Amino acid sequence: MAKHRRYPAYDVWEEHANWDVHTRQIVGARKMPQVAHSYLLPAEALLLQAIVSVLVDDHRLEVLTFVVAHIDESLASPVGESQRKVGVPEKKQLYRLGLAGVEAESHAEFGCEFGALSAGDQEQVLKRISGGSVKEQEAWTHAAAVDFFKKLLHDTVQAYYSHPLVWSDIGYGGPAYPRGYVRVEKGLTDPWEAKANGE
Amino acid sequence: MANNDEKRHPNEADRARSSQDGLVRKYAEEADVCIVGAGAAGGVLAYELAKAGLRVVVLEAGPFWDPQRDFASDELSMQRLAWQETRLVAGNDPLRLGHNNSGRGIGGGTVHFTGVFLRFHESDFMTRTADGVGEDWPITYHDLAPYYDKIEREIAVSGPHHFPWGAFQGPYPYPVREPISANAQLFREGCDKLGIESVVAPLAILSAPFDGRPPCINRGFCNQGCMPNAKYSGLIHHIPKAIAEGAEVLSDCTVTEILMAGDRVSGVLFSHQGLMHRQMARVVILAGFVVETPRLLLNSATSRFPQGLANSSGWVGKAIMPHSSHDVYGRLPEEVRLYKGTPVLALTQHFYETERERGFARGYTLSAHGSRPVGMAGAIATEREDKTFLWGKQLRETMLDYNMYARITLVGEVLPHPDNAVTLSGEKDENGMPIPKVTFSYQENDRKLYQHAIGQMNRIMEAMGGKPEHVVSDTAHLMGGCRMGNNPEQSVVNEFGQSHDIPNLFIAGASTFVTSSGSNPTNTVMALAARTADKLIEAMQQRDV
Ligand SMILES: Cc1cc2nc3c(=O)[nH]c(=O)nc-3n(C[C@H](O)[C@H](O)[C@H](O)COP(=O)(O)OP(=O)(O)OC[C@H]3O[C@@H](n4cnc5c(N)ncnc54)[C@H](O)[C@@H]3O)c2cc1C
Ligand code: SF4
Repeated sequence: MAKHRRYPAYDVWEEHANWDVHTRQIVGARKMPQVAHSYLLPAEALLLQAIVSVLVDDHRLEVLTFVVAHIDESLASPVGESQRKVGVPEKKQLYRLGLAGVEAESHAEFGCEFGALSAGDQEQVLKRISGGSVKEQEAWTHAAAVDFFKKLLHDTVQAYYSHPLVWSDIGYGGPAYPRGYVRVEKGLTDPWEAKANGE
Repeated sequence: MANNDEKRHPNEADRARSSQDGLVRKYAEEADVCIVGAGAAGGVLAYELAKAGLRVVVLEAGPFWDPQRDFASDELSMQRLAWQETRLVAGNDPLRLGHNNSGRGIGGGTVHFTGVFLRFHESDFMTRTADGVGEDWPITYHDLAPYYDKIEREIAVSGPHHFPWGAFQGPYPYPVREPISANAQLFREGCDKLGIESVVAPLAILSAPFDGRPPCINRGFCNQGCMPNAKYSGLIHHIPKAIAEGAEVLSDCTVTEILMAGDRVSGVLFSHQGLMHRQMARVVILAGFVVETPRLLLNSATSRFPQGLANSSGWVGKAIMPHSSHDVYGRLPEEVRLYKGTPVLALTQHFYETERERGFARGYTLSAHGSRPVGMAGAIATEREDKTFLWGKQLRETMLDYNMYARITLVGEVLPHPDNAVTLSGEKDENGMPIPKVTFSYQENDRKLYQHAIGQMNRIMEAMGGKPEHVVSDTAHLMGGCRMGNNPEQSVVNEFGQSHDIPNLFIAGASTFVTSSGSNPTNTVMALAARTADKLIEAMQQRDV
């Protein structure tokens, strides 16, 4: 995985004592995600975790668990989805249909469930769905494959890039209140920021 | 439900008002003015009208935020600052709503806006006359200039001593921001190399202490709500001042219908914690932004006004405009760290005015724009201009270089088109109100304009030493839907925001825009609101509305 992590020694969470209380609570909770789900069925949650793992190219269980828990929470929540394209099912329904569609596609192409496929074959299934060139048309009559893929990728990426472990991977400075930044210009860093030479 | 006359005089509402639901009312009988929406326009109006001694009630659908308790340095959780209720989207280029352009709660969009604070140019008010496209406004730049002056002074806008484009050349009331972020520095250097003039952005963000508030600490989370209160918002400026002047501001109150008595508005119906209430008023001002204001008008149809209120022209909901707001992300050999500093600290309006040889009318602003991981990864994964997706190993490896990326953003003029519209869908929300449908498709001029801009952004990125790698298709801001004009057959309100059809109904905010310009809109939203306030105070004193 560590193809080129630029800041191997950096851990953004080490700075959490310098964050305001509210932010610390929000980010801290991501390190201990719920494993019980409110909307997803156990089999759906497992399948979703396998898909998410391919989408973000990461196998760390604590991160994947958080992403799935976050998506589940949004599916159970009464808060709206900001916008929905005319003709696309509601998010709850889109996920239910879409996850079933992934399984159907996996069976149609490889004759077994998604979770049992090799990484390469899993990618192949998702590639077909992302391009809308599915083999198993019938599974996608009520929800277009591309619409599902876009929503799924969007939700996955938003949650994944909110995890402090991932922030550390990419060298993101993370929460910055109350201290802010003093050295913002080219080539300058404040002492707590990620350093490429790993100090 | 809209034509149900019984609902128009609900006794339940009177009972509900006196029930123990925690809603303490100051002007329960009748107010002089009821303002719907406590956003950029609603805040200015509430303050100005209360200061003039009028009895003002503001009804706001969202919460009364406490920045210290409710905000956080976090992208994902702060999406709650947006209007997240589902809206249906349609057209060839369906809009991304929510956090991208709609606020909810006291302060409205200003709570999570970026704070770039520009004036429109003279040409923006007369695109039909100047370029044969769009429509002329019923006012000129010079009608609005004193109000731009007033608003900029009142909120201590920081900006350069000299601003090289448009009629206003500076200086701004507060000193220019210094230092600027690496991304902004690189952008300015790149522009320099190409002979493109650039400036440090004028911002509704403090460069020095003002009114008990501190200067910006370069935290970079303007789009998540400013915790130190360095950035202007209606939440921390106009609304508290309005309350101090006697205005009543009720949060968590969603207006569902405008009430009529004959040919005049008599008040509004609103829902608070599941109960319906009424607010009667001599004048009602709708300041609920581009989607909700037309939705309310259309939903309040009566037998006298079957097409919806203020809609004899048929223009309610029509000609909505976003800005085209494509991004170019480029990879540099050095660290840029897009998370640091106020997101926009440099911009150019070099491409602002029409140049015939470019093959399209009107123009745009380009800004150096910061970005945080959720924003950047989400955009390059799912909003690519080429309509492909980026995921798996490619996405992960791109994001491992997050700190090496620079970003430039477009604010491009989109011309008004009647097919781009807010209408009511057949689906209903939990208040029984029809869910709005928002239809948008770029037209040919719009596409040529943003393609030109992408070319220039790529050029500047290269001059910055970067390799343009990701072009993101995005929009920003919303305007129009209840446009102003002199001709009652072609517009919804007059130059002061007064309905052509119903004299005591006003509309304020971005929905009255006739064209979109190539500038961020909020300075114009607030200046127009201040102008409406002046007019209304005069009219109400003379009992003329
Ligand atoms: C991410 C982002 C960045 C931005 N950056 C900039 C920038 O840098 N510069 C700039 O100039 N502009 C920027 N904007 C745009 C700016 O926020 C808007 O132009 C401005 O807020 C519009 O003002 P308004 O008064 O028309 O509406 P709003 O400020 O949106 O206020 C409308 C209010 O009405 C309330 N409301 C709606 N319906 C009802 C109802 N039925 N009952 C009660 N209340 C209701 C809403 O909850 C909201 O609070 C940005 C916007 C966003 C979202
Ligand atoms: S960058 Fe400045 S204005 Fe923006 S949120 Fe931070 S302190 Fe507030």
